Amino acid sequence: MMNEAVITLDHVSASEGNQVRVDDLNLTVQRGEAVALVGSHASGKGLTLRLCAGLEAPESGSVRILGVNPAAASEELLDLRQRVGFVFAKPALINSLSVFDNVALPLRYHDTLPEAAIQDRVMTRLVECGVEDLRDRFPAGLAMGDARLVALARAMAMDAEILFVDEVLFGWDADELVRFRKIVEHYRKQRTLTIIVTFSAPTGLFAMMDRLVLIRDGRVIADCPPVEASRVDDPMVRDFVIM
Amino acid sequence: MIAWTGKKTVEGIAYAADVLFLSYLALKEFLSPARRGRAEVSKAVTRQILLIGVGALPVVGAMAMMLGLIVIIQAGLVLPKVGADAFLAHVIVVTVVRELGPLLTAFIVIWRSGTVMGAELGCMRVDQEIDALEAMGIHVIGLLVMPRVVGAIVSMVCLTVYFDLVAVIGGFVVAKVVLTIPFAAYLTEIEKALSLTDILITIIKSSLFGLAIAVICCHHGLSVGSAMTEVPQQATRALLNTVAACLILDLVVSISLYL
Repeated sequence: MMNEAVITLDHVSASEGNQVRVDDLNLTVQRGEAVALVGSHASGKGLTLRLCAGLEAPESGSVRILGVNPAAASEELLDLRQRVGFVFAKPALINSLSVFDNVALPLRYHDTLPEAAIQDRVMTRLVECGVEDLRDRFPAGLAMGDARLVALARAMAMDAEILFVDEVLFGWDADELVRFRKIVEHYRKQRTLTIIVTFSAPTGLFAMMDRLVLIRDGRVIADCPPVEASRVDDPMVRDFVIM
Repeated sequence: MIAWTGKKTVEGIAYAADVLFLSYLALKEFLSPARRGRAEVSKAVTRQILLIGVGALPVVGAMAMMLGLIVIIQAGLVLPKVGADAFLAHVIVVTVVRELGPLLTAFIVIWRSGTVMGAELGCMRVDQEIDALEAMGIHVIGLLVMPRVVGAIVSMVCLTVYFDLVAVIGGFVVAKVVLTIPFAAYLTEIEKALSLTDILITIIKSSLFGLAIAVICCHHGLSVGSAMTEVPQQATRALLNTVAACLILDLVVSISLYL
């Protein structure tokens, strides 16, 4: 893991509706780290993840992603978006496009590669995620687990430097979670991939993380490696980690 | 009552400002397109022209034929009785080409494609597809709104010309069964009655209707929050507001250019 901050949240606050969901939160993620944001529903971890990805603007405080302020000029933001991949809790695949075209969409839109190279890249990602047989299917006909794997392939299509996954446990069964762990491990062996994910329940996947950041009421209540979490004296940490 | 009126007025002004701003963004995107995604945007524009324009040809043709038939038969039977049979061509031009052609074509496009636009974008919002596009660095106005605006304007102009042709010529051919006017004489009279201004105004009207249909429907689609139940509500609002906008635009153009 390199000692270079790729994401910095400095005294960030943000709301959803009239409710403050992230309250004066500080967080730094180093290049190559695997960080889990852990908390119950409405704890603010989802909004924190979107702030980290530059998909939401903070009401106060500052956010820097790969050295870029996402609130800055739009062209810089578009360049930044090509360097990060985001998997939403819902698969968020474009329903009018086939699986193949969904994964190819960011590559074709940003004109990064010739069409033949795009075809190769898309097939590689589909094979890595184990969904190559679904290439001609449309999202409406996919099971939730398969659709999220396609969304993962799409998020990695541009060779993202940072991968965000919201609610890892949503829609994936045990086999698919194992497949997700293997895919992420494969990517992390290939390149320096920073990964930030959210969990709203205890899971064995904590073991693959470098850090657990436990969030309650929009504040960080613990930030430590998974093996040290059991020593944190907090009832929520006990519920989430020791259970 | 005063408070309610004030609130509704403020809401109406805010709504009009939002729609005008979206029109500005879409037209700006068309006039100075982003460097990225031009091939994808071109594909989206072609797809919209096929869906809105080509797909509506049979319905527009059938409606135009029936309307042309009704107007020509009524005018052809009534006008000679009052000694005004020389005005048949003028009546056709005024009712069909100037007014009913653009308006009825707009209504068909609203019912057939406008509501679909609103519902489609609303579902995309609920399913987080729009968030996903933004997360991939894809410009939503450029890929979703501008192609619909261009598709609707191009389709509206072409469909209106098609409507007028079918209504004026096709209607007469069918009506010939009950009328005694020679076809060549009828065409000559139409040619005399139809000015270049009529054609230009028809094109201006249909372009404005296309812009209004696409922008208002896209605005309502993008206004959907996170609940699927909002989709039909916004689609219905889009339909009603688009019909109202087309009638207002028709009135404004007709008053300002014909009076």
